[in-house]
Amino acid sequence: MFNLIKTEFIKILKKKSFLIVTFIFILYALLTNIIYQNINNIDDVSIINTEELRNENALLDLNNPEDLKAYIANLKTIEILKYEKEYSHNTQKYLISHYLEPVISEYLEAEYITKDPELMQKLELDKNQILDLIKKENWEYFVNQNITTYEAKLTQDLDDQTKTRYENLLALEKYRLTNQIPYDEDNYLHNALDYIKTDITEYYNLKNAQNLTKEEQDRYKYISSQMQLNKYILENKVDLNNNANLRAVLKNFASEFGLFILIYVIMIAGSIVSEEFNKGTVKFLLTKPYKRNTILTSKLLTVLLFIPLIMLMMILIELILGGMIFGFSSLKVPIIIYSAGILKSYNIFKYLILSLLTTLPMYLILGLIAFAISTLMASTSAAVTVSFLIYLIGNVIANLALAYKFKLFKVLVFLHWDLSYLLNKEPSPYGFSLSESIFVLAIYSIIILCLTYAYFNKKDVKNV
Amino acid sequence: MTILKVSNLNKKIGKKEILKDVSFEINEGEILAFIGPNGAGKTTTIKCILGLQKMTSGTITINGYDIKKDFVKAIAKVGCIVESPDVYMYLTGLENLKLQASLYKNITEEEIYRVIKLVGLESRINDKVSKYSLGMRQRLGIAISLLNNPNLLILDEPTNGLDPEGIKDLRELLVMLAKQKVGILISSHNLSELESFCNKVCIIQKGVLIKESTIANLKQVNNSKYIIKLNSTKNIKNFLNSEDKIQDEHYVEVIKSEEEIAEFINLLVKNNLKIYEVKKEDLTLEEAFINIAGGQNV
Repeated sequence: MFNLIKTEFIKILKKKSFLIVTFIFILYALLTNIIYQNINNIDDVSIINTEELRNENALLDLNNPEDLKAYIANLKTIEILKYEKEYSHNTQKYLISHYLEPVISEYLEAEYITKDPELMQKLELDKNQILDLIKKENWEYFVNQNITTYEAKLTQDLDDQTKTRYENLLALEKYRLTNQIPYDEDNYLHNALDYIKTDITEYYNLKNAQNLTKEEQDRYKYISSQMQLNKYILENKVDLNNNANLRAVLKNFASEFGLFILIYVIMIAGSIVSEEFNKGTVKFLLTKPYKRNTILTSKLLTVLLFIPLIMLMMILIELILGGMIFGFSSLKVPIIIYSAGILKSYNIFKYLILSLLTTLPMYLILGLIAFAISTLMASTSAAVTVSFLIYLIGNVIANLALAYKFKLFKVLVFLHWDLSYLLNKEPSPYGFSLSESIFVLAIYSIIILCLTYAYFNKKDVKNV
Repeated sequence: MTILKVSNLNKKIGKKEILKDVSFEINEGEILAFIGPNGAGKTTTIKCILGLQKMTSGTITINGYDIKKDFVKAIAKVGCIVESPDVYMYLTGLENLKLQASLYKNITEEEIYRVIKLVGLESRINDKVSKYSLGMRQRLGIAISLLNNPNLLILDEPTNGLDPEGIKDLRELLVMLAKQKVGILISSHNLSELESFCNKVCIIQKGVLIKESTIANLKQVNNSKYIIKLNSTKNIKNFLNSEDKIQDEHYVEVIKSEEEIAEFINLLVKNNLKIYEVKKEDLTLEEAFINIAGGQNV
């Protein structure tokens, strides 16, 4: 039996199709890594053209309040664009959009709507002061200002909720100062601070609101998870959201490279029996001193062993390529899963293995289907095509089952073979329990295998 | 000692009877020629013996083991090529041999090189099989069939693709193996190639074994070939059987027993034909076969 399995692996590894798919996978993995490497450099190309805005303004009627609003907005944008061109560091850009922009807005309103020269003069001074700070990249000034504002607010008589919110905001600013984090979007700690600061009001509002709608509940769930994750980032100083590293590619491995696993599995399982019949090599194989059951079992075991082994091979290739492109330092950063209010930390490799394990049932069932068709029809192309179609149909039905709940769906294997919800500690999207899923998967496997074995034992090697 | 015993082998596919009560035996050291036209059931018989096709009824024993009950033991000492030597084209000759050898217990590297030398493939053994000619694949197939030191060798059309040199080598190899008490079943269209070294022959037609006999017996069929020289062969057609031939305007070739030839000559004389010469010749194996097959009126 061991020798039979060994020879099966030799045959697979020496096959041209296997080598070709592996070659294509290496290219694909390389490109994927390069895309991840450049993921942060893909800027939203600013398509706002100052000239166009000016032309637009020339056509507006300033006596019409609507038009006037648009006119002011355009002027503001033109001015902001001018400053952003002049001061182009990340910190400067942030300060312009967060601290300079409100002043400019106010100034323009004073100029065109309220027509208040005194206010204009005051705002002009403010603007120049802020511009001066921006020029020097003196971000600490703004942090200190915020601290003063929040401390002042906290001395007032506030309700508990508002108080907590300001305390939190104050803590954020102090954290920024002590850890010397400029307003730089390339700095992950800044991004975490900024996220919390932006969403904290909505978070507390949702938290204390009564009778949330379904949408609001989902939004609250999402914001709480993001809050916790960003807090975790700040507390542990780990760059969880960085996508331009090896860890991110490995984290998304199952979805990025799942198609290749599928191709490998279907290709091997779909040809392992049929090709021997088509090429006539089965005549030497079946006249060796083994029972037919033993020969089929060795081929089945080869397919079953092949699935985890090919996953390992793909991980190794990705580690080598990704390691060359990114280095390995990101692998120290854990994967954090938020579920039911609790954060759980996984080592990246543990997470990777678990994520692949949860998709394993799908590859097993599709592999068995390809194996069965390969045996029953002795046709590699039929086996490959049909299994691939079953995969596609399975996807469609899985989507359909999210919208419609039929009792009949319970017996469909497509809804049971993806266990990835387990990874996030969530319940099945279709409301099945794990033991139900395992039961359905087992029944399908047994039926497919019984058919295959019964047929293979009786099968005549036809005359050419 | 009997190595292979086939008794009352029947094979039906649907309603069609492919084999009807086929029975024969091979003893050690015997080379049995298995002869029949295309579609007669030669390959089906061989596949039934090797367990590649299931028989409808009958028993086949190899070395005393029933292939239905004890397949693994029965097949252990059998080497074979069926239809054509189908090996893994993307592997080299040596890789193929090693792969096949690993499916038997305890076949050493020396053993592999011994069979390579036996079939004369030393120089090309590290080439991919996809670059081999049919003759070379045939040699590789024979090497594979000899890996397990079989005492029953079953070769289906092994001379296909072999050049005369290759056929001579094969003949020598088979005679040598027969001397080592290997029983050999060999099927071929080309009877003249087998005639010189087979010691037993089975003729099968439309799934029925017509005759099992030794070469010597087959050659002693009562009929002989007579070549008759006449003044004219123009009007003779009415007197001839289907297997008789008109060679040219003077010579005619007939296959008859002694009694029949006497009557035939009498008939010719009565029809005023002049007989200049009557020459008797032994039938070749092929002619004997055609004569018997024709006699079955099929």
